[in-house]
Amino acid sequence: MSAELSKLLNTLGLLAIGTVLTMAFIDQVWFGELPCPLCILQRAGLIAAGCGIALNIVFGPKPSHYGLAIIGAVASAGISIRQILLHVVPGTGFYGPDVLGLHLYTWAFLFAVAIVLGSAIMLLSDRQFSQVQPSSGRLKALPLTAVLLFLILTIANIFSTVALCGGGLCPEEPDDYELFSIND
Amino acid sequence: MMSLPFVLFACAIGAAWMRQRGVSLGFWLIGLVTMLILFRVHVTEVLSIQL
Repeated sequence: MSAELSKLLNTLGLLAIGTVLTMAFIDQVWFGELPCPLCILQRAGLIAAGCGIALNIVFGPKPSHYGLAIIGAVASAGISIRQILLHVVPGTGFYGPDVLGLHLYTWAFLFAVAIVLGSAIMLLSDRQFSQVQPSSGRLKALPLTAVLLFLILTIANIFSTVALCGGGLCPEEPDDYELFSIND
Repeated sequence: MMSLPFVLFACAIGAAWMRQRGVSLGFWLIGLVTMLILFRVHVTEVLSIQL
């Protein structure tokens, strides 16, 4: 696999993470489903994984960047598993709506596993690492858009979390924003 | 406080955008540690998975 193809696949991967984060925002803003603390941390884990992919796009593919993506995804998966275990026994309730029969934290777990598998498969190709990347090479339109969108979504999460939790920790089951009210 | 990981990851992406790889990796690492600490703080509820 050439470095160019690797960069394209990384771009598509980052766009996939961006899509998931956007859907989480749609669920939060449009449907009014406020994220719990573990849900917020799952988003952070996906962003941590996305950082590794973004580094692949900006600096060219490196095994260490895939390592960052895998570590971030494993952290996100761990947080998801914790939330799945909280509700795994029938009758112990659940958090948020289900999509296609699975709750969002279960989808987050599956998506994190997909990132780990995807990164592992990408690591199988050595040729992408043998091509030297120009240190000041400009990004093409699609990779540039993917990284920019990812940065914007990360910044949006800062504002969203501050609005929801203020400067401290988040409530376990939030029913309104800390900084303003949507239930009036 | 819960927004700290996002702030640090945003800094990591910003540093990558500015072509500062080492700085980006540093922000990423601090962001991950912060995220795990916040996870630890929030995992206070006892699991009830005995069947």
